[in-house]
Amino acid sequence: MSTDPPAAAQRPPRAAVDQLAGRIPSLAETEDVGPVGDRSRAWRKRIAYALMIGYALLMFVPFAWTVITSFKTRADALRLEVIPDPFTLQGWEYTFARLDPSIVTLFINSALIATAVTVTNLVLGSLGGYAFARLRFPGREVLFVVVLATLMIPDQLRLVPVYVLFNNFGLTRDVGQYIGVILVLAISATSIFLLRQYFLSIPKDLEEAARIDGAGFFTTFYRVMLPLATPALAAVTILQFQGTWNGFFWPVILLRDRDHYTIPIGLLFFRESGGFSTNWPPLMAVVVIATIPILILYIFFQRYFVEGVAASGVKG
Amino acid sequence: MTAATQPQRTGRVRRVGERQEALAGYAFIAVPMALFLVLNIGTTLYAFFISVWDWNVRTGPRSFLGLGNFERLLNDDIFLIAVKNSLYYTVIWVPLTMAIGLFLAVIVNQKIRGRTFFRAAFYFPAIASSAAITILWIFLVQPGGLFDEIRGALGLNPLFAAMGYGPTHNWMGDPATAMNSIIILNAWTTSGTFMLFYLAALQSISNDVYEAAAIDGAGAWQTFWRVTFPLLRPGHFFVATVGVIGALQLFDQVRIGGGPNGDPNNALMSVVLYLYNAAFIQVNLDYAAAVGVVLFLVIFAAPLVQRRIFGSGPAW
Repeated sequence: MSTDPPAAAQRPPRAAVDQLAGRIPSLAETEDVGPVGDRSRAWRKRIAYALMIGYALLMFVPFAWTVITSFKTRADALRLEVIPDPFTLQGWEYTFARLDPSIVTLFINSALIATAVTVTNLVLGSLGGYAFARLRFPGREVLFVVVLATLMIPDQLRLVPVYVLFNNFGLTRDVGQYIGVILVLAISATSIFLLRQYFLSIPKDLEEAARIDGAGFFTTFYRVMLPLATPALAAVTILQFQGTWNGFFWPVILLRDRDHYTIPIGLLFFRESGGFSTNWPPLMAVVVIATIPILILYIFFQRYFVEGVAASGVKG
Repeated sequence: MTAATQPQRTGRVRRVGERQEALAGYAFIAVPMALFLVLNIGTTLYAFFISVWDWNVRTGPRSFLGLGNFERLLNDDIFLIAVKNSLYYTVIWVPLTMAIGLFLAVIVNQKIRGRTFFRAAFYFPAIASSAAITILWIFLVQPGGLFDEIRGALGLNPLFAAMGYGPTHNWMGDPATAMNSIIILNAWTTSGTFMLFYLAALQSISNDVYEAAAIDGAGAWQTFWRVTFPLLRPGHFFVATVGVIGALQLFDQVRIGGGPNGDPNNALMSVVLYLYNAAFIQVNLDYAAAVGVVLFLVIFAAPLVQRRIFGSGPAW
């Protein structure tokens, strides 16, 4: 929080939140404690911790099992051995050598689409978010309501018209397929909303100083305001990259050729292609590959995941 | 002289400045707004338009059907099964996931050691892609898979036998258990997200009420049910709304778990899967568009119904 004073000004400081949270009575804290109470309290605490650690493990076990299974032989895939015996790279070799479309193609497609969608959301989201926050123009409020209203339209309603439209413009064929998916995800109201809220929280002084110095609107935005919005840009980056990397709905509709599939669509394809659907070790290797980039992001930028979810929750 | 012209001049300067600012504003929002107007607003209207025509993929409208597609839907057995399945999923999954999410939020809201770790762990399953996690789930619950092995090893099989399930039950292949498997899968992956929503709601409750409750001698259990739970009403409303809207859009997991026909025996046929099926398996775009219109109206109405249940919602 110390890196982004404007947001801190908007919300209660984290220390205060922690303090507040800590003072919400827990079982342990509100109990009358005598000498006997002390002991039962300690035990209760241990049991609570054991349950929590147990539940936390339950969150990781399936993923750990995926990794373990990917190193087993096909015959052993269903056996309850925590350490693969024999330990084999057959599954991984199969994944890299024999899949069609190849795992490298799938990975590149996923990375390409996720990166492009993230960039368009950053560029268009910050332009739009800044204009809705700071520039005065007739119709601004109405147009912003229009932007927010798009959040109420389920993607499924748009399936048929988007498909018909894109089909007419060649966006369901060849390279057009990539463009179609990127176009339909190019800007989300959430990105605009997040960035607008952030720009609103930045004090006006800096901007006015830049304007007095003769900077144009774009220069003020690009040179002064955008660098100040880094935390919001980071949140949008994480939200969009993760969402698009994991995305299923639009890719499964718009990516018609195998060579254009992303990893999730590849997984569906492998699942449904006869001979491969129960060859678990390589299938689990693909699941691992699908999850690792997001896992790495999560480990390093956990805060932005949590804040992105919280912020998309606030919008309502 | 100067005194008279001065205000006029600044007035003109200001007007010119305003015009420039307005132009800059329109320039900033031009691209995102164009995308929203075409791909969100335009396609929504287009969906309604397509739904009342007999529509050909290539040539467009053939003949006017009016509400014909909607009448047909009401007499379509598979569609009615899809509605029933989606409602069943919504009614079970939303409260279940809300309960788990609230429980986890209350736990990680306390001042306990390793709180950040537990939050990160409980949210962890939400970061993976629906495709990867559904394939993983199919692997875990297949006959003789990890789930069957573990319940056998824990000696739980007599319990399952009492419910009529053998030692290796085909959870995804049996129409009676397929949807419940998906419900458990999604409760597992989404409870972390609901936890974050509830956490934000918990932290907005003032500490004063807890102090008052403590002075009145309320125990932890009483405090939770009499103070925290009712004060979380805006939180409940928000999570329930997000949950119901998400539940009605169930697609990825049933498409992957049950194929385009929601196998076994339509047990996994959801409304959105039926829409997809109508568009790409039956190749009946106008019929699919009609399903989309129905879904849109239901999703639009859901929060209004919920508002009646929860009373007036929060300010937003």
